Amino acid sequence: MNGITVNGMNRQILLGDEAVARGAIDAGISGAYAYPGTPSTEIFEYIHSQSIQEELEIHARWSTNEKVAYEEALGMSYAGRRAIVSFKHVGLNVAADPFISSTISGVHGGLLVVVADDPFMHSSQNEQDSRFYARFAQIVCLEPADQQQAYSMAREGLDLSESLNLPVMLRLVTRLAHSRSIVALAEPRQQNVRSLCPDTSYWTLLPSNARRGFERLLDKQAELRALSENHPANQLTMSGNGKTGIIAAGIAQGYVQEALGDRLADCNLLCVGFYPLPVDKVKKLIESSSEVWVLEDGYPFIEQQLTGEGMHRGLKVRGKVSGDLPRSGELTPDLVRAVFGAAKTPAVSLPGIDKVVRPRPPVLCEGCPHSDTYQIIREATRDYRDVRIMGDIGCYTLGFYKPHEGLHSCICMGASIGMAAGISHAGFSPVLCVIGDSTFAHSGLTPLLDAARENTNIKVFILDNSIVAMTGGQPTMATDEAVERIVAGLGVPSEHIKVIKPLPRNLDDNVRVVRDEIEYRGLSVIIARRECVTYYKEIKTAKSNREGESR
Amino acid sequence: MKQDILLCGVGGQGILSMAYVIDSSAMEAGYFLKQPEVHGMSQRGGAVQAHVRVSDKPIASDLIPLGIADMILSLEPLESLRYLPYLSAAGGRLITDITPFINIPDYPDPSSVYGQLFQLPSVLLVNGSHLARKAGSPKAQNMVLLGASSALLPYPAPMLEKHLAVLFARKSERLVHINVNAFRAGRAVSGFQQILSQAGVPIGLIARLLPWLDFEPWPVSSAVSRAWVEFFKSPAACAATDALWAERKVLPLDEEAPRKLLGG
Repeated sequence: MNGITVNGMNRQILLGDEAVARGAIDAGISGAYAYPGTPSTEIFEYIHSQSIQEELEIHARWSTNEKVAYEEALGMSYAGRRAIVSFKHVGLNVAADPFISSTISGVHGGLLVVVADDPFMHSSQNEQDSRFYARFAQIVCLEPADQQQAYSMAREGLDLSESLNLPVMLRLVTRLAHSRSIVALAEPRQQNVRSLCPDTSYWTLLPSNARRGFERLLDKQAELRALSENHPANQLTMSGNGKTGIIAAGIAQGYVQEALGDRLADCNLLCVGFYPLPVDKVKKLIESSSEVWVLEDGYPFIEQQLTGEGMHRGLKVRGKVSGDLPRSGELTPDLVRAVFGAAKTPAVSLPGIDKVVRPRPPVLCEGCPHSDTYQIIREATRDYRDVRIMGDIGCYTLGFYKPHEGLHSCICMGASIGMAAGISHAGFSPVLCVIGDSTFAHSGLTPLLDAARENTNIKVFILDNSIVAMTGGQPTMATDEAVERIVAGLGVPSEHIKVIKPLPRNLDDNVRVVRDEIEYRGLSVIIARRECVTYYKEIKTAKSNREGESR
Repeated sequence: MKQDILLCGVGGQGILSMAYVIDSSAMEAGYFLKQPEVHGMSQRGGAVQAHVRVSDKPIASDLIPLGIADMILSLEPLESLRYLPYLSAAGGRLITDITPFINIPDYPDPSSVYGQLFQLPSVLLVNGSHLARKAGSPKAQNMVLLGASSALLPYPAPMLEKHLAVLFARKSERLVHINVNAFRAGRAVSGFQQILSQAGVPIGLIARLLPWLDFEPWPVSSAVSRAWVEFFKSPAACAATDALWAERKVLPLDEEAPRKLLGG
């Protein structure tokens, strides 16, 4: 990494994601768990590469999915040591089960749950706001305003988690997760010594234990509110009665500073970086201000709490619900400038530019095996009507676009197989689905087990390119023979497990294999196996390393 | 000191490497820095951009607001135009590679893209792909463009080269050599542009000429510079430059080339 020392301070250029990771390392974590997903991937990657480079004793391995990652982190906490678990916003849906119940059990070693939200869906299928999850779970959520705060809040979050005996959430948004700045690092803390929690009733959520655990969680709420009122990240700056009030959460603090500059000093400003909300400060701001603007990146989480879903009509709160700011998409400094009536800075403009500039969406790489697979499927299904090819999450989702037009859905990790089964149940045939090797390991095994048990008439294509390509080339949990063994182990008959190599020269043979399977009324799994062209070198290195290990 | 640069191109062209060199130099020079970038799906051949904000005072917003950017530095001509709403009308400069990256079915006629670029008040067109190949690798195109922008950056060239070397030393010494030469060739382009511009040659003519000169990893000699300044004094220079642009053939950077171009 890129760093210098100034006046004895170690200063490094870090992405927001990396600042969180560095903060967690310096807070003495013993375990880091994650599943790759934009914009969260670099958190784990940083910890992984640094633990090798600095020879740190941190267990850092990618997990099969977010639920497993969360449970591994919770186990590390159970054993008295600190852990970080990180994923993108939709990853928390996968991990929601252990997440919510771990607030009832409580934690032992500090547990930091980092969730990177993706307003505007730069690389996601929805833009859900994780602050709602923190509120639902009744735990602390930290929302940094910049990279320096991302570093210090990761450290603080682990301390806080241990002192409250609760998991703590740290919420990032894409623009902070993927923005670099210079961060000053503090002295690292030692790791915890392992220690088992003596009272196992906390951790065994039988109803009688769980009821006590839930009471404990409720009893902590007053303490959380008190912490929030006094937290330096929730700073209230009053300039006078009747002035414009502003609540700026997380990254919006920088945007309002950029937009208003010196004019900001003439407003009443409440910065928010610690949830639950500092209710007394919010009340004071509302009472003293002519109107209150709520600036937050994501859903109108704060605004809705202030207005009670519109029930407090007397209050002049302006933001996304009031219609002053767009309800969807990403907050930007330009939107903030516009609502405060700041003059636009003139930009270069050219007549006729709109006719020239056009969108450039992402595409499958040249030579990508998925392109060949889509061609095989296209040729093999040509003579059938009402063909549906259910899709999943990965590079191959780009097969929706021309020229492939090879899939008809993408909902969440693993949905392709279950949805294909549902369509088959509804009476359609042929029904196909495509799922990558890593997505299959993440969430494809359980629906395939369902399909195998009833021999559902669907054709499951596992696109095995030996890597997690879309998020930057992370190792996959199952490739090559491991995929075949899993599929066979789930109960798919071996005569309907076909392995093809999607290459242009094999097109005719491959089409014949697929047509034969379509003619069979039952479950078939076709493994389309060829290494990703973009990460070909990395895959070869990883495979030869694995062979070396097994010798 | 405050400088906002919008780096752009197509996923995979090496925008983040350019950002790395500028970021590291900014930190060494003691400036504040914010630099958001794009990861994830767009990196698969989509439009990709990074904002580089450097200042001697703390920077509030990670993103550059519209109309504020001092420079657009682009690895692809169509991409350079996409971000014009960010470019300040008060002296904003655009530096771009001229080689179209065509991976969409409706890529516009490149001549319409160049037509837009020629209308800009301050534009530098660079044949990055040619100069990168000449330096030893087509992938070094990003460092040619960084070199072409370096005269406008508030860091000495050796500082930029030092961080560039750190970046590529992770891979090989050979790559360091190639990329330093690419950077220097790019720097030679902008140095030569300044000479012609100071001699009063119109910006549009310079823009048509520079992509077709075979720059070396060192500044253009004064004799060659003089020959080209003389060239532009000829009434036939305008037509000859247009013809060169249409022909798209790289000329040797010697004293003979401008004379030959005028049919001498």
